[in-house]
Amino acid sequence: MLRVQDLRAGYERGAPIVRGVSIEAKGGEVVAILGPNGAGKSTLVKAIAGTVPIESGAVILDGRNITATPAHRMAGVGLAFVPQTDNVFTTLSVIDNLELAAHGLAGARRRMRLAAIFELFPDLGRQRGLDAGRLSGGQRQMLAVARALIVMPKALLLDEPSAGLSPKVVAELLAKLAEIRDSGVCIVLVEQNVRAALTVADRLYVLVEGRNRLEGPKRDLLQDPEIAALYLGGATRAAGAGTGP
Amino acid sequence: MSLQFLADGLVAGATIGLGAVGVTLTYSILRFANFAYGEFISWGCYLTLLLASAIGAWASASVAPIGALSIGPNVLAAGLLAMALTGLLAIGLDVLLFRRLRRKFSSITAVIASFGASMALRAALEAIFSSRPTYFSQELQIAIRVGGLRITPDQLALLGLAVLLAGALQLLLTRTNAGRSMRAVSENPTLARIVGIDVAAVIRLTWFIGGALACASGIMLGLVVQIRPTMGSELLLPLFAAAILGGIGSVPGALLGGLLVGFAEAATVQLIGAEWRAAVAFIILIAVLLLRPAGLFGQAA
Repeated sequence: MLRVQDLRAGYERGAPIVRGVSIEAKGGEVVAILGPNGAGKSTLVKAIAGTVPIESGAVILDGRNITATPAHRMAGVGLAFVPQTDNVFTTLSVIDNLELAAHGLAGARRRMRLAAIFELFPDLGRQRGLDAGRLSGGQRQMLAVARALIVMPKALLLDEPSAGLSPKVVAELLAKLAEIRDSGVCIVLVEQNVRAALTVADRLYVLVEGRNRLEGPKRDLLQDPEIAALYLGGATRAAGAGTGP
Repeated sequence: MSLQFLADGLVAGATIGLGAVGVTLTYSILRFANFAYGEFISWGCYLTLLLASAIGAWASASVAPIGALSIGPNVLAAGLLAMALTGLLAIGLDVLLFRRLRRKFSSITAVIASFGASMALRAALEAIFSSRPTYFSQELQIAIRVGGLRITPDQLALLGLAVLLAGALQLLLTRTNAGRSMRAVSENPTLARIVGIDVAAVIRLTWFIGGALACASGIMLGLVVQIRPTMGSELLLPLFAAAILGGIGSVPGALLGGLLVGFAEAATVQLIGAEWRAAVAFIILIAVLLLRPAGLFGQAA
């Protein structure tokens, strides 16, 4: 389980963008972080992943305090992050992108994980020798997710994975995320595309101005029309009923 | 027209190419032009000289030349040791100077600092060894003829060394995890950290390899020309011309760039006059920046 307690974080010391956010995500659960532009959603996941300095608060993964863990050790302790843009190495091949992420694993386990990843993402298996820069936007996003999964993380953070993708590709990606969630991984998803987030999320957090504004199971939040209209972009009718578990 | 410039250019080009590989690697990963790189070349050469005399004094038999070469096993052993030491010197300079600047300032600050470091390192060499030229060996080399071109056994051996080092580096970059990590950090350091790469370790490795290659280039220059405290700084312009001509970040590009600059210099010396040699690299540098800034193998920024 990933627990974030009263986190304050930002690029410059003394000017936090995330100003006291607490969230929780259990294994086998997709938690979506929603909110208007500038709410601090991206900064929150970057801070959890160790790429934005944390001023105070704590990040706890399965009972272990990983607040001060440097970004390059996060994958090793079980927390994987897929940034919004530039999330694959375009000058490296698909297999090299995956091998790099798997470098901490021993030989046999590494081969096993690569095989499992190619089973989950068969397209990537077929394009393993291709430079990642030649993949389509959707394929790149799949590669970024595959790369994050190779270390079998306990928690997977994604920053706007649907950005710039066609609705069809978004649907494929969300289906993959649901599959990954069902394998027991806890997923924290930051999304501008509320409709997309609602199709897969189990619980929602709404951030405003760097603080928690609302939280709860998706259905509870969606039943309040005022909340839905104010913070969820009026997307309730489209995605609310019947799609989540 | 004599084609002798091809042989001369090949040897000069290999020297420049090897150094340019070091320049291109450090430039693409550390993101600044390190003008102290020339001093790694000079320091590498002087360290080799120092170690070679120490080994020679300790085991006098090692001074006897190998076959037709002008140098003995002492220089070879010293060269290997000096490559490692120059690599450590480069890491040391990073720890003392560049690492602190990287954290706080833009890359232009590092460039200016590298000018300062270059002057200090060169002055230190002049203080220790004086500015009088010296040589690895006083042995005379008799050139052999290869297809009408004259080339000395030393030059042939150095060409072999350059090919060996360049091949090893290319294998390292494309086949090993360390190499993949270097390419990853060069493309996107933030993502590299997220993926689990220890960027600080990759930077240390890059300095080490850059320093070791500079040393190899310095040994080549010292063997073929002479050993002087300014030998490295004088090679700096051709090195940058070669690295930019080849495309920053490309190892094969830097080697090819080095060969082209070497040929162009040798042809100029033979056809126009030795006084124009220094202008050649400058003209190539300007032409590439104006016509094809990404270089031969570079990715458009």
